[in-house]
Amino acid sequence: MNALRALPRRHLAAGVVLLALLAYPIVNPWEPYPQGVLLMMFLLALQASSWNIISGYAGYISLGHSMFLGLGSYTTAIIALHTGLNPFWIAPLGGVTAVLIAMLAGAVVLRTGGHAFVIITIALLLSAQIVAVNWRPLTKGSDGITLELPFWSADFQNIPFYYAFLLLLVLTVLFSGWIGRAKFGTGLVAIREDEGKAASIGVNTTVFKILAYGASSFFIGVAGGVYAYYQTFLNPVGSFAILGSVLIVLSALVGGRGTLYGPVVGAFIVQLVNEGATVYGGSTQSRVLILGLILVAVVLFLPAGLLPTLEAAWRRRHPRDTEYTDQVGALSHRPAVVRERARSRTPDAEPGPLLTVRGVTKRFGGLTAVDGADLTVERGSITALIGPNGSGKTTLFNLITGTMPVDAGTVTFAGRRIDALPPWSRAHLGLGRTFQVTRLFRDMTVLQNVVAPLPDGRLRTMFADAVSGAEAARARDLLGIVGLADFAAQQAGALSYGQQKLVELAQVLMLEPRLILLDEPAGGVNPSLLGRITEVIRELNRAGVTFLVVEHNIPMVLDLCDPVHVFARGRPIASGPPEAIRADPVVLDAYLGEDWRPQDAHA
Amino acid sequence: MAQLVQALALGVLIGGIYALMASGLTLIFGVLRVINIAQGAFLILVATFTWWLWRVIGIDPIVAAVITTPLMFGVGWLLYRFVISRIRGQAPSMSVLLTFGLALVIEGVLNVVAGNKFRSATPAYFEESFRVGRVLLPKAQVYGFLAAIVVLGVLYLILTRTWTGRAIRATSQNPSAAALVGVGATGTAALAFALGSASAGVGGSILSVLYPFFPASHYDWISRLLGIVVLGGMGSLPGALTGALILGLAETLTATYASLQWATLVFYLVIMAVLLVRPQGLFGARLREDAA
Repeated sequence: MNALRALPRRHLAAGVVLLALLAYPIVNPWEPYPQGVLLMMFLLALQASSWNIISGYAGYISLGHSMFLGLGSYTTAIIALHTGLNPFWIAPLGGVTAVLIAMLAGAVVLRTGGHAFVIITIALLLSAQIVAVNWRPLTKGSDGITLELPFWSADFQNIPFYYAFLLLLVLTVLFSGWIGRAKFGTGLVAIREDEGKAASIGVNTTVFKILAYGASSFFIGVAGGVYAYYQTFLNPVGSFAILGSVLIVLSALVGGRGTLYGPVVGAFIVQLVNEGATVYGGSTQSRVLILGLILVAVVLFLPAGLLPTLEAAWRRRHPRDTEYTDQVGALSHRPAVVRERARSRTPDAEPGPLLTVRGVTKRFGGLTAVDGADLTVERGSITALIGPNGSGKTTLFNLITGTMPVDAGTVTFAGRRIDALPPWSRAHLGLGRTFQVTRLFRDMTVLQNVVAPLPDGRLRTMFADAVSGAEAARARDLLGIVGLADFAAQQAGALSYGQQKLVELAQVLMLEPRLILLDEPAGGVNPSLLGRITEVIRELNRAGVTFLVVEHNIPMVLDLCDPVHVFARGRPIASGPPEAIRADPVVLDAYLGEDWRPQDAHA
Repeated sequence: MAQLVQALALGVLIGGIYALMASGLTLIFGVLRVINIAQGAFLILVATFTWWLWRVIGIDPIVAAVITTPLMFGVGWLLYRFVISRIRGQAPSMSVLLTFGLALVIEGVLNVVAGNKFRSATPAYFEESFRVGRVLLPKAQVYGFLAAIVVLGVLYLILTRTWTGRAIRATSQNPSAAALVGVGATGTAALAFALGSASAGVGGSILSVLYPFFPASHYDWISRLLGIVVLGGMGSLPGALTGALILGLAETLTATYASLQWATLVFYLVIMAVLLVRPQGLFGARLREDAA
């Protein structure tokens, strides 16, 4: 009983509904009509729930998702026709076809963050229809394919189909929930919120998106096979109707895109409305109008969807009170934790360059932002990069971390050329960065933000549990290091700017980095927090982490860093220990200005 | 040989018309970062209205653009002011969903008001052609092409020679900087959306003669137009022109040497091939995002 109480209410409610649905055909076996309606609700719900993986979690909208149902139907029907096997046993192959097509198309259009995806989803649906109509030897064209009738006695009516679709729905929801809890799911949400940032913390955005698209198609494909058997007939127009996609999109949106149960709840509602419109509203024609109006209204007035809106209302009335009690303890054993981890990952304690930049150049049209720059960061150092605004420091950061490609030159990290690697591979090698203006995933909690990074590209890491277990425990530890353990459950967007900087630092630490690039860690941070930041940097450095810091706060730089490189007009003009830089007339002239005198640093 | 020249000539004519239709979509995306899924529905809406003007009042369908263009300008302006502008600042995916909803509403209204059947405006010159050497150029295609070129030219002049045009281009490059120098973002955005819709005014009128259409045809059209824009690079006007030309040629060549059924499919394959090599499209630029 206690175990039940510990379950979140929504899982409990879902369990109760599931039990009722399981019992329904037994309790009321002689009513084919309500069973048929429920069955269609399951089918729509499992489609919406699948759609949610790519379009809810990852934010890439698919407008042609019903195509996978048609693909599954055709695969199953064609194989059944040629082999005589029962469609039930072939249906999983429908899922395989769906995944193959999704991942093939995805591999082409999902490599950029662009909008090619939306169009391809419609184009795929229309193309599938064209192929189904015209490839007559395989698909029998517009005549369609007729399948054998179910093998069971007519006494059972459609009850086996009822349970088949219910089973597929349950599997889909479990699958979606598993993804949502894994680092894979956190990475998908990270992509939705800020794709560039996601790449910088080790999320292989291309692979994540392609896998998500594949994952969003499998159960629909399987269901397609079962659906073909249920209908015993399929043709191109019915199998690849765009109205099916409309229903899917609408369901997920009504219930709450990006949530676990939202698409299911939405699908139940939408299917009922759809059924009602068919029974009472007459034609398909008016149904399109009704669905369109609902879609517009939901986007304008209920953009978050039903479940999140209700949940927010519930939260306002019942504020959480016991959120951060269990994390306070993490603060106490902070220092030991840092050293242990950083050492374990950085065995290369011997001196020598960790990062070498040679002749790197970047032009934006006529502007040469970085001009043949050379830079070396020694292992174990806290190296500073200072220089006037527009001297190319941040651009150099972007070139080192792979946010943008270099025009010329080489970047070597830990003995390896990295200038052609994508950002996530550089992160996996141990290169972490923070941003000048913080780029946290604002709609995620602080804890989710810190759990999101992936220290390597292995599948095991990708599908590790994110919200509980070892990863979450480590994230809490890291939050403890930056002194923010109490804020784990807060929304990241609600934190102060300085706190966000600290969370971003914790996020980078999750990568187990060997080199951290800090872009203006002191910018916009109040003095007391600034003290905290320098303290953390020193502590991590003692534990073996190397730093490259861009900063305008000169007293802080001269105090913290050694050596200091001075940048002007896209290349370094001076390098040396802080004492030398402090006195170098070239530097004083180019950067610090004529008014600046060495003694100011001590003031 | 004559067959090839014929196909090429037709491809260019159709390409010009596609270019006009796609220009509105790319303009709206360039300025608003909104993928207007309803652009195809705008075309079908205008085509249906044009058909009605032609059938009931007897106005020539291509000349009807004089009426439909300002009308669509107004419709676009109102739509932006009262609907689209409400989701400004939200995730880009919301605008896809909203305009998809608008497309469905338009389709539904056409279904209910005009009925779900194929239509095509067939003025007197519908089946006549100009003969240039051994090449036959259908009059409807030629008139449509000329109208499209004129409108594209006017659009180009508006964008490059007027203050309004500069404001639109400035907003598309950097909305906050444009706002700082006195370009009102909302007004400019509404104007861009209205201009983009107006191009569907001309495009829809031309469409009514060249292609049979029915309410749900808008899926085909939006998929074609988006294909053009993706092929050329989102938000790039030269890209849209090139993409349109490629689509026009791909269609006529496939129709000539294979069959019309596969024409659309060939175009999608071309898109996939291009994206394989250049993920950002032919003319798509990767702007620096760090200094936004």
